[in-house]
Order: sequence, then C-alpha cells, then structure tokens
Amino acid sequence: MTARQTDRLPLDGVRVVDMTWVWAGPYLGSLLGMLGAEVIKVESRSRPDFFRRFVVWPLADAEPEELGPNEGMMFNTVNLSKLGVALNLVRPEGIDLIKRLVAVSDVVIENMRAGILKRMGLDYEALRAVNPRIILLSSSARGGAGPEAHYAGYASVHHAVGGGTYITGHPDGPPGYAIGDVDLMNATAGAFAVVAALYHRKETGEGQFIDFSQCEGVTALIGEVLLDYQMTGRIPGRKGNSDDFMAPHNLYPCWGVDRWLAIAVETDEEFAALARVMEKPELADDPRFATAAARKRNEADLDAIISEWTRLRDRDLMACQLGEAGVAAAPSRDARDLMRDPHLRARGVFVELDHPETGPRDFVGLPWRMSGCQPALKRPPLLGEHNDYVFGELLGLDEAEIARLKESGIIE
Amino acid sequence: MTRGAFEGVKVVEYATMVSGPYCGKLLADMGADVVKVEEPPDGDPARRRGPFPGDEPHPERSGLFLYLNTSKRGITLDPEQPSGREALQRLVKWADVLIDNHPLERLESLGFGWETLRQETPRLIYTSITPYGRTGPRAGRKGTDLTAYHGGALGSLLPPRSTDISRPPVKAGGYPTGYHAGLTAGLATASALLARRATGRGQLIDLSEQESIVALVRGFVGAVIYHRLTWSRVPDRPPSLGRMQCSDGYVVSYLVEDHHWRGLVELMGNPEWAAGEEWNSFPYRVGNLFKIGYKIDAWALQQKAEEFHHQGAAKGFAIGTAYNAEQVLNYRQYASRGFFVDVDHPEAGKYRYPGWPYQMSASPPRVGCPAPLLGQHSGEVFRDVLGYTADEYRRLGESGALGEGVAS
Repeated sequence: MTARQTDRLPLDGVRVVDMTWVWAGPYLGSLLGMLGAEVIKVESRSRPDFFRRFVVWPLADAEPEELGPNEGMMFNTVNLSKLGVALNLVRPEGIDLIKRLVAVSDVVIENMRAGILKRMGLDYEALRAVNPRIILLSSSARGGAGPEAHYAGYASVHHAVGGGTYITGHPDGPPGYAIGDVDLMNATAGAFAVVAALYHRKETGEGQFIDFSQCEGVTALIGEVLLDYQMTGRIPGRKGNSDDFMAPHNLYPCWGVDRWLAIAVETDEEFAALARVMEKPELADDPRFATAAARKRNEADLDAIISEWTRLRDRDLMACQLGEAGVAAAPSRDARDLMRDPHLRARGVFVELDHPETGPRDFVGLPWRMSGCQPALKRPPLLGEHNDYVFGELLGLDEAEIARLKESGIIE
Repeated sequence: MTRGAFEGVKVVEYATMVSGPYCGKLLADMGADVVKVEEPPDGDPARRRGPFPGDEPHPERSGLFLYLNTSKRGITLDPEQPSGREALQRLVKWADVLIDNHPLERLESLGFGWETLRQETPRLIYTSITPYGRTGPRAGRKGTDLTAYHGGALGSLLPPRSTDISRPPVKAGGYPTGYHAGLTAGLATASALLARRATGRGQLIDLSEQESIVALVRGFVGAVIYHRLTWSRVPDRPPSLGRMQCSDGYVVSYLVEDHHWRGLVELMGNPEWAAGEEWNSFPYRVGNLFKIGYKIDAWALQQKAEEFHHQGAAKGFAIGTAYNAEQVLNYRQYASRGFFVDVDHPEAGKYRYPGWPYQMSASPPRVGCPAPLLGQHSGEVFRDVLGYTADEYRRLGESGALGEGVAS
C-alpha cells in the first residue's frame, strides 16, 4: 500500500476537547487523535489523570513508589496523539477558558462521574450555548440516567454487570473477569459514535449529545448469549475454549512451562491437514473423527491424542507448520511474545516514539492500515505542555494575559 | 423525525459470521442501506450456529444471525457464476462501501482485487477484514476467533487469578474477536466515509482480526516495555480484590483510591485486622493485601451478591454482580434506559435484542427491520437498486446465480 505522510487524515480539521481520565476515555481521545483530530487533553495539576503517576504493581526493578507526572506507563500508552493543557478547573476563570476552547472545537469527550459536568457548569446545554454545533460524548459506568447512573465503575466491573464475566472461564471454574481490554473496546465503540455524529453534522449541521454506558458496551457484544436464554430457557454458562461445533478447538500443552498452542479445525480438509502434520494421516479416516459432528462427539479422545503430540514439541514451530498446512493455529502469547513477533513487526504494529522524560519507547498504534495515509502518531503530552499554543495561538490570548492567568494559578 | 447518521450511505456486505456482519450492523442500525450478499444454497454460516428456539436448528432462526444482521437487506448471489459475478460487480459500483471478511484471495480470484476496485471504483471504501491482515509473513494464513484471541495475547490474562497452570488460558465467552474486529472495522469505515466527503476518494482498510486484539493489550505491552513486567493469569500480583465469591454468586470489584478501600472496610464493619492507618495507602495495600485477602474472602462468602453490589456502590466503590443472561435481561438500569429493543422476526418470532451503548440525541440508532430471510430482498435489490429489467432478473434467476429454484 502506498502512503504519503502528507495525505489527508479522516479527522483532519476536527478539534476535540478531551476531559477524560484513567483508561477508556483517554483511549477514545487517542483514537481520534491518531485519525488526525487535534485533541486537547485538559487536566489540572491538583488532580491530573491519576494514571500519570500510577505504578502498576511491585516491579521487577527497584523504582520509586510514585513516578513523575510524565512517566506513568498506564497514562502514556493510551494518550498518544494529543496536546496537553493544565488548568484550574475549580475557579470560574478556568471554566471560562474551557468554554472558550469549546467555542472553537467540534467535539468534547468526558468521563467524570454523573453530575460533575453540570456542577462545573459544562453540561450539554451550557456547551451548546457557546457552540450550537458541538458534539458532547459523556461516558460513564452505567449511563447518564437511571437508578444506577451514579455508580462508580472500572472495566472489570462493567464486564461483570454487562454479562461478559459470567460466560468466561472453565466450565467447572469460577467466572473470569476481563480488565483493561474492556475499556479499550468501549473506547472504540465511543469513537465510532463520535465519528458517526461528525458525519451526521456534515450532513445536517446538527451537533448532539451522546450518552455512553460502559456496561451496555459489554452487553452489545454478546447479543446471541441473551437470545440463547430467551430461545432455550437455559442460562448460558462457561465453555472454556470450546466451540459448539468445531473440534479440535482448544489450547494444547507444549514443551516448556505454561506454553500452549491454540488449534481450531472447522472442515474435514483442515482436519486431514492437521493429521498429516502430526504424521498420523490415518486419523482423518478414523470413523471417530471423520466428520465435524463425529469429532465433536469424540472431542475428549481427540484432545488427548493431540495433546500427546504437542506435549514435547515447540509451540511456535507447530504454529508455523500448521499455518503453512492450512490449519488455524496460534500460540497463546503474552505481551512479551508479541514484541518479538516478526509478523507484527513487519506490519508496523509497534511504533517507536521519543519522549523527553522516559526516552524512546515502543507503542501500539492504530489497529488498521489505510491506503493513502498514515495515522498521526505522536508521543503522549507532558502535563501542561501545550498551554502556550492552546491559550495563545488558539484562543488568541496575549502574552500579558497568559502571564496574568499563570500568575493567578488559572493556567497551571 | 430524526435520521440515522449514515442515512444515504450504500454498503455491500460480502461477509459471514461475526466480524464483517457486525461492522455492517453498526452502519445499518445508523441508517446505512446495507445489502448483505449471501452465497447459495445455505447463506451465511451464522444461520447454522444458533442458538435456536427450542434447540431446533432452522436457518431463519439462528440467534447469532438474527442479532448480527438487523436493519439489512439480504440477497443471494453465487459469484462463481459469470452472471453472479457481473451482478456483484454492478452492486459494488453502486456502493460506497464494500465489507469483506473472506480469505485474502477470494475477491482477487473473482476479479475484484483492490487494484481493480481502486481503478474502476475510485470512490469505493473497501473494508477488508482478514485474520492476519493483507501483508506480512502470516498474511493469508487461516485464523479463527480462538486463534486470534490467544495469538493476540488477550487469552493469557484469563481466567484471572488461576492457581493451577496445568489448565490452559481461556478466551472470553462468545465471539470476542469477531465482535471487536467488527467494531474496529466500523470505526475505520466510518472514518473513511468522513474522509471521503473531503477528498472524494475511497480507500482500502486493511484490518487484521489479530491486531484488533493486540490493540487491546497495549497496556500490557507497555508494562513489558516500561517495567519488564509481564501480566498473566496467575495471581502473582496483589489482588485489588477482583472477583469475590458470595453465598449466591460472584461479585467483581476494583479498589484503587483510598476512599474506595475505606468504603469496603466500613461495609465489613471495621474489623480490627483492617483498622490500621497504614492500609490507607495504595502502595501499602499493593504490597500487603495478600495477607488479609483470605479474611475479606471469608467475609464476602457470607454476603448475598446483589446486596454486596448495591451496598458497595452506595459506599462509593466500584463493584458489580457477575450477572448471567437472565439477570442482564432483567437489569433495572437497562430497563430504565430502554437499552433493549424488541424485534419481531417473521420466522423466528419476537425477542429482546441488546441495543446500543451510545444514546445519540440527534441521530439515534434503531433497528430498521429484522434480519433478512435468505434471499428476501433479491428481487427489489436487483430491480430497484441495480436497474435489472424483469427479463434480465429472470435470466439471472434461471442461470442459477441466485441459487437453486430462485427465479422471479
């Protein structure tokens, strides 16, 4: 695919005021930024995005318990391609500056607890008064209205309430909650809604308010599970790695400690190819395994035979051999494995970006390729890094005014 | 009267199962005119996946198909037949967007490679969804929901807090890869539509299902790069409580801030073992929660999940019951927001479908019509959309390109 860096990006010319924090909201803003929007992340020094300093767990290397505000991995990985400003968000003059920013912007995204935006005087009605075409997306755990609108939430809790946790895990084990990936999934859905609203605005001139519920984001991705209960009267449970029709369809133990190979076979041809790679071509003619229905019926026997073959073999080698033979197979990777994957490297999944405080780091960029343009990938902003550009160039405040606002602690 | 955001956008969906069809549904529920192309005789394999009412398989009653194909028109077409290929060509010329999740070589072999499409239909957005993408050493390899999920490293985190590593990681329930790839494709396609308004040009979107999963583990990649720390499913990290078993189910909680922690301690009745001031520090809890985790678990086991859930929420910390399908369908918050949509399908009957996590004030999504019957709209699409005369359409039917026994 030919691509010129200078070509137009989908969201060129769109300006976004990003008042989100933690994980789901920031990644939504980052997606819009990678697509070309000018995203301005608004923080305050008294209460910056708490992932800026967040140390995840006890670490392999001795590190300080608290990091500087620009060093946090949890912040940096989901805040690519944004500008950063720091403002006092309690004092009226700070709120006034946000309104001036909104007046020259297209989209506002926020994920504060229900009611806080209104208390700040920045709810949809207030924003519409300064910019009738504005698109506001408010993202919350359970939606902006209803009996549980005020409930706090993080990804794992949304996964539980939305119905994803109950159906995840081994059939005889406890339910398995997902973590940050749920936030990033919801960020993708939120970004889709924002782009749709931008498209709608191009057609009609209308802005709008988008009320996003993180729990509903989980439920929307398991529609057939809810239909299952209604259609059969049974509550769908946990199925491990198994599939209702395909066998083999599992993870198989490989040589080494906790190393696994995923194999999924749909057709008889694929099964014959697997049998050939295993050097047991006779399996394809074994009546226990000759058809998909027979394989599913005799899945336990089949899993035992395959496990016996995989047990003392190398995971990555088998994945290659099976892939070449036309069988869907992949190692169960961890994040470290991903970094070394030549395929992902060849596709430019990882992008190195320099950073004045942490040095160069690899980041995961936009999860697709577009012909004719490259995503805008920029390192995450330092706290308050773009105050002068945003308040000076963008809002047109003169130097004396900016100095006064800094002096009085409005611009931080 | 509101209008859908993508009203007027014309989409051809040549896609099966979950990823491509979910992308098509996202656009269709927002008003796009999506024509789903299914191959005779059986159509989309999702029709055979179920769940089925009363467990009786029927191609028009598969829950997976019904949910993923709302608001679309459906036609049958065999692109292996010359007349079918010509029809597909006319359809693609009509369309703004082509969604395809067939193997890489499929469209190429039919004469619809990207180079051809780009030259003949420069305004076309071609959303190509493949297991590994269109380039790189694994391009063209087979992949499924299972292999992309584990190959993309998301499975290594599940089930969380596994103590027995002789049991494998698992994938999330349902079709997590297909849905997320479809969602990502929806965002990519919507962006390309916006770009096209400015440039007048279409584009190729090369979307790898595995990469859509890799994008979700960017934080775990960050942990490796920043801290040499590899997350996994084993409980070698202190719990921020995560999952707790109650007397009648499970809750999941996540405590970060100090006031969250104090809320839980209050709820437990301020036990002596959690009373010390030192617990009011996140780093301290991270290092020491293991020591008292079993006491918290013992307390939780005496609680009822729903009571714990709502009392905890009242204390201001993040907690929720691990709801099953029945509980989700009866969840009061969803009912009050009108999240579910009742859809009446002529063959399958009336069921409650999930709506959309985004409520949009000016362009609300909606289910325009239930999922199409196999070939339901062939006549109207060929005649009204593609301008086939009655005669041409009859000949197309007779050629077998619409499937056996299908003729006007």
